[in-house]
Amino acid sequence: MSITGTACVHRVVGLCWEELGFFGVECVLFNEEYMTCMWGSRETLTANYSLYYWYENRSPVEECKHYLQDQGVSIGCYFNRSEIIQFQPFRVLINASLGSRTLKILSKPMELQDLVKPEAPVNLTIRNMSSNQLQLTWTSPYPKAQCLEHAVKYKSNKDTNWTHQVKGDIFSLPSVDYEKYYTFYVRSKINSYCGSTQLWSEWSVPVVWGSNSTSKGTAEEQLHWFWIHTVLIPIASCLLLLVLVVLLVRMERVWVILMPRIPNPSKNFDELFITHNGNFQEWAGVPKDVVESFRPNYSENICYVSELPPKDSCEPLWESGNHPPSVMPGAPAAPREHSPYKNSYVGV
Amino acid sequence: LSHVMATTFFRSIFRVLPLLLLLSPVNSSSCAMGNRTTQIREKYENILSHDIDELVNMSAEYRDRCCKNKKHENSKVFFCNDTQEIESLQSMACNMLRFFHKQKISKDYRWKAALVSCGTLQVLQCKCERHKKDKVCMQVNTHNKDTEKSEQSKKKCNQEFCELKENISSLRSCWNKFEKIIFR
Repeated sequence: MSITGTACVHRVVGLCWEELGFFGVECVLFNEEYMTCMWGSRETLTANYSLYYWYENRSPVEECKHYLQDQGVSIGCYFNRSEIIQFQPFRVLINASLGSRTLKILSKPMELQDLVKPEAPVNLTIRNMSSNQLQLTWTSPYPKAQCLEHAVKYKSNKDTNWTHQVKGDIFSLPSVDYEKYYTFYVRSKINSYCGSTQLWSEWSVPVVWGSNSTSKGTAEEQLHWFWIHTVLIPIASCLLLLVLVVLLVRMERVWVILMPRIPNPSKNFDELFITHNGNFQEWAGVPKDVVESFRPNYSENICYVSELPPKDSCEPLWESGNHPPSVMPGAPAAPREHSPYKNSYVGV
Repeated sequence: LSHVMATTFFRSIFRVLPLLLLLSPVNSSSCAMGNRTTQIREKYENILSHDIDELVNMSAEYRDRCCKNKKHENSKVFFCNDTQEIESLQSMACNMLRFFHKQKISKDYRWKAALVSCGTLQVLQCKCERHKKDKVCMQVNTHNKDTEKSEQSKKKCNQEFCELKENISSLRSCWNKFEKIIFR
């Protein structure tokens, strides 16, 4: 196990590749204009590196003329076009120096035509063909168009997933919905006629088509929609709301329906509070003796009740204030036939 | 004297002529002349390239551990020389035909390799120096190969297989070069 905790797979002369942060060389030809061979990053490399290269049975061994460095550490080598030869086995030798020890790492023969990564396509153009058909065309910065194959991915604003297709130089979408808008991307790769590679280019700048933008996609129309959505509609809504509020305030009939008044029963009690000074019993017409009877210190005079003599002896009945005849205690009083306020005269 | 001089003259001519024939380049092209790049490209892209891809895929299915770090005889036939791509392809295709009778190699693999070789020669309209190899192409184009029951024993790694595999890789690479450089 190395110092960094990584398992040591390649050990030569007591030195471990992985200990030195080295995990192999990766070379890529960018659009056949230049090539880079990278062997690590600043964070992983712990030794001093140098690169030597040659083409088998063709050229002498040469050292890299332009190292790529990251904070003073060599992490790769840059090759210009004149140093690149395709269809010739290409090999590199990496020297890793750590202290007094040097580790030499020899790569496998590489075929540079199989390491080409073309540039992304440009000038994507959409044309409206007949019967709801779209045609997408593009151009490629790569010089040999016959050596390219292309991949197109597209989706509409209603779709969630991209649709991928590998195509020739022209892509046709047979039927489109004019209510949707579509987004297209294209990328390229060296085809099997000219090499054996899996290196796709980066995706191109997208092109859109559909109802949210014209085929020209002008900024003026987008600004027009911006003003409508963010300024005009909110102001119109506020004005409408204001008009409704004013109407509601001025038309009391409508206001009363929407906001009915809370009933105020105080007028019904004006007579109680004004005429009778809050005397509820008086206002309600409760008799005085009933009022008196509810007082705590109420004492009622005994009312003597006597039976009327027969008809042949007509004597005046007693009046109020005279001593009434005695009433036996415990005996219930005879029911009265007339009001106690009235004098009980029995006429003869 | 004139008679002697004439005789001497003609004898010297007759000595030189065989010498000239002997010294004439053995590798003179036996391919049809003429600018046929468009036809060659069509046949390569539409037919031959697919057979080559299948053959390369078959190569990956066989064990090749015994092939690493080995240099083979006749390595010169594996180069695709600049401005001599047709001649290089012819040389590679003719060299591949000699593996057709190698019993240590899987029969399927040998047949496919021979098919690609003969296809290359046909597209380029070339012939091999040794006419025995042309008979192989007649056999490949007219016969249906007999399938053998046990193919497992043929898949063991051996040096003939390694050499054929490298030859196939070089042939594919040379066709790539031809397409990329010649067809513009």
